Amino acid sequence: MTDQPIIAIRDLHKNYGTTPVLRGCSLSIARGEVVVVCGPSGSGKSTLIKCINGLEGYQSGSILVDGIEVGAKGTDLPKLRARVGMVFQHFELYPHMSVLQNIALAQVHVLKRTRTAALERARELLSRVGLSDKADAMPADLSGGQQQRVAIARALALDPQAILFDEPTSALDPEMIHEVLQVMTELASSGMTMVVVTHEMGFARSVADRVVFMDAGEIVEDASSDVFFSAPRTQRAAEFLSKILAH
Amino acid sequence: MPDVILKNLPFLLHGLWLTVELSVWSIVLGTLLGLLVGTIRFVRVPVLNVLAAIYVEIIRGTPLLVVLFITYFALPALFGYRTTAYRAAIFGFVLFIAAYLAEDFRAGLRAVRPTLIQAGLATGLTRWQVLRHIILPQAVRRVLPSLFNQYVRLIKFTSVASVIGVTELTGAGLLINARDFHPVTILATIAIVYLVVCSALSLAGRALYAQFGVRT
Repeated sequence: MTDQPIIAIRDLHKNYGTTPVLRGCSLSIARGEVVVVCGPSGSGKSTLIKCINGLEGYQSGSILVDGIEVGAKGTDLPKLRARVGMVFQHFELYPHMSVLQNIALAQVHVLKRTRTAALERARELLSRVGLSDKADAMPADLSGGQQQRVAIARALALDPQAILFDEPTSALDPEMIHEVLQVMTELASSGMTMVVVTHEMGFARSVADRVVFMDAGEIVEDASSDVFFSAPRTQRAAEFLSKILAH
Repeated sequence: MPDVILKNLPFLLHGLWLTVELSVWSIVLGTLLGLLVGTIRFVRVPVLNVLAAIYVEIIRGTPLLVVLFITYFALPALFGYRTTAYRAAIFGFVLFIAAYLAEDFRAGLRAVRPTLIQAGLATGLTRWQVLRHIILPQAVRRVLPSLFNQYVRLIKFTSVASVIGVTELTGAGLLINARDFHPVTILATIAIVYLVVCSALSLAGRALYAQFGVRT
């Protein structure tokens, strides 16, 4: 069972009305793998990963998460989502709750942990992301980088089998990008399965096992990061790389 | 203090007490009903959603005095139950204020970012849990100023109950004036009392918002 991919996407199609967003994407992610998804804006990267935990629906094709079809009628989406964490571009911390409560909420209501156990786990994770001193702070009192690290702790609190990152550093000032990438790098080396939509090519090169390049709703290239950066197969990927690495 | 006020002080204080009672019951029950109606409209509960929308539109197009006449005369006649002016007044105020509060709550609920809802869902919370723990608490905190604005309006609205015979503050004042005829003194006193009560509530609202308002 363990060699079965944790996420298996096959021929996924999705439209918004008559506009196609995903046009036959197939992607398989093994346990422990770190996959970076990149590509120009509007290429469908975010939509693709939001399909994985059922935040977005799809018209045809299939997504198996741990062997369970996400789009099937009887699928218990909340249960499935608890096993696949997600980190958002704009952090999305609950603004009316303290940092600790943000991390404890789903533990209590989804995993049915006791309040004490949930808070203890929350403190543990906060120290892991280097924010032990911010336990009682409100999200509005934190910097963007700190908020994103809390968001990562919140995702980790459910002991997920994989975490999806939707442009986790795009809303951050340059000096804060580093602290978030550092946490993500540590997470990757601890063996967490990660799917990361990002433009951080340095992270992709040094941390990712594989890079998936998307354009216009299609997966144009799916290669090991070494191969992707040294010898992209397609013209479109080569053009994208030259633009994004130019500066 | 003028003689006419001093002489009638117990009666006026009783009127003030009735005003406070009417206001507290109407605010508490009206807020609960408004929250329910606003949430039903936000979630778009089938059937109930339409009923809620019709209720809000009807109330917002009806003068308060007419609403009180309906709860005092029309509904008891229609459904064959007995009521008192006091109870009919509270019933009317609750129906009236809840329609406005429902719209305030709905605005607050809609102001919560969709991506924040997604974040809650992504952690495995059900839609109901997201509503209960993430959307509602934020919406309520966000609309606190509007709520207290409606509450202050309501306190002044309770004076309308005097028309159906509740001797709350205004009703008591009018009765004293009918007997002793000191309109300026009596009405000025009443106006000042309303001002004090409303300002106190307004300040309380501001303090609550300073404490619990959502900072983003």
